[in-house]
Amino acid sequence: MRIRPAKSFAELVDFPKSLGPVPPGATEAHGTTVLALRFDKGILNLGDRRATSANFIMYDKAEKILSLDDSTMVAISGSFARSVEIVRYLSHAFKYYARTQLQDMSLEGKLQEVSRALSGNLSMTMEGIGIFVPVVSAYDEVSKKFGIYFYDAMGARFESGAFAAAGSGSERIRGVFDYITRSKGPFDTRPLEDVLKDGMQMLDIAAQLDSATGGLEHVPPLAKTLTAEGIRRVEDEVLASAIHSVTKAG
Amino acid sequence: MISPYDWQESVHQRAGYIEARLRGGSPVIGLGITDGVLLFTYRKQVRKVYEVYDRLAFSAIGQQADVESLRLTAVDFAHQEGYSRSEEDVTIGRVVGFALSSPLRRAFGDITTAPFVINALFAEMNRTPADDLFFKLRYDGDFEVHHQYACIAGTPEAEERMTTLLVSRYDPQMDLDAARSLADEVWRVGADRDADGTVDSSLMQGARQEVALLDRRTARERKFRHL
Repeated sequence: MRIRPAKSFAELVDFPKSLGPVPPGATEAHGTTVLALRFDKGILNLGDRRATSANFIMYDKAEKILSLDDSTMVAISGSFARSVEIVRYLSHAFKYYARTQLQDMSLEGKLQEVSRALSGNLSMTMEGIGIFVPVVSAYDEVSKKFGIYFYDAMGARFESGAFAAAGSGSERIRGVFDYITRSKGPFDTRPLEDVLKDGMQMLDIAAQLDSATGGLEHVPPLAKTLTAEGIRRVEDEVLASAIHSVTKAG
Repeated sequence: MISPYDWQESVHQRAGYIEARLRGGSPVIGLGITDGVLLFTYRKQVRKVYEVYDRLAFSAIGQQADVESLRLTAVDFAHQEGYSRSEEDVTIGRVVGFALSSPLRRAFGDITTAPFVINALFAEMNRTPADDLFFKLRYDGDFEVHHQYACIAGTPEAEERMTTLLVSRYDPQMDLDAARSLADEVWRVGADRDADGTVDSSLMQGARQEVALLDRRTARERKFRHL
């Protein structure tokens, strides 16, 4: 046992070297469309369940919405292997900080750590693989406010107002967010059931226009909510009724 | 040149020195109940019960700096293990047995350095109270495994008195309030160092309860919280 100054979790586990190399030209599984939408009591994250590799469908039960801690949730798109590994790193980094420093990491600190993890992954993304783009939903326990943040592959952070989307299907539906805001009012004033229906509709449209996005019927999308109380999966019945209302209307 | 006799003599003196300094420590009680694992103590200014990992908690009697360095070593080891393998693979047995016990033993036997003044209690929450584990770790690296409940105190005699009470009164079905009041009673027995029926005034003065729970039922990521 030796005396040493407080160190970061990155130093402890030698991140990002701990990620290991990926040979150029390797094929990898990709996650596709994910959405983050505000509702009156928090943030809803929705993701289809499809993971693709080139033109193969690798998997139809992928979980693309993961929690970093009780007040931070991340929706991932892009390289599946890298993103799951980096999410593991981040959730451990947050826990490690809280336990060694005996205080929770601030929201700013957490967002910064996400940026750093992404730029640590950069050497990989230069090879054209391992690129992933997260959408972070966070609740700030100090200011009692919710925020949605999206990143580019280099780690630049952008705060988004009431909605964000990432993945191959997301470009097809970006305009729809604005349309819904203008026609139905801001997302953060509407109840979860309504916002969930809108989100399902957008996923359905993305699935129609993007072959890599799974639809609603085969395997239901994954939906989780972040509120002041923590992170929860949306109940199956609520999910089923939202899906039903969308597919019936279509 | 240090002869074997000198070494033995000085180790003996070190043990005496450490035990004298541990005597004034406030006892800690750990109970596994349906709600989770409860760690209970009274403390003055500085916090005494800490989270080590998802299902692991820790409290200790001893010198602040030693407690802190043991705590950080445990936290480091647990997080390295949890990150490179899986959260499930981090167990209290490995933290205490592999990461802490031998360095403590080495520090105790190395008569050229200051010894660790510490008597620690580690807790691990599992699926049911019957599976809950407690590890008591002593300043010389020796450790003991206990199931369901355990306690540490300033002297072995006090620990014995506390254990006798725990054996007769512990019930895994207890609710949180019952567990808290049992722990309080056991603490008072342990804090009564001269066994004259009264708690040492030096321990009680300006002290307040510190109770932490590793919550078995919560759906939240963080299981550890102070009550």
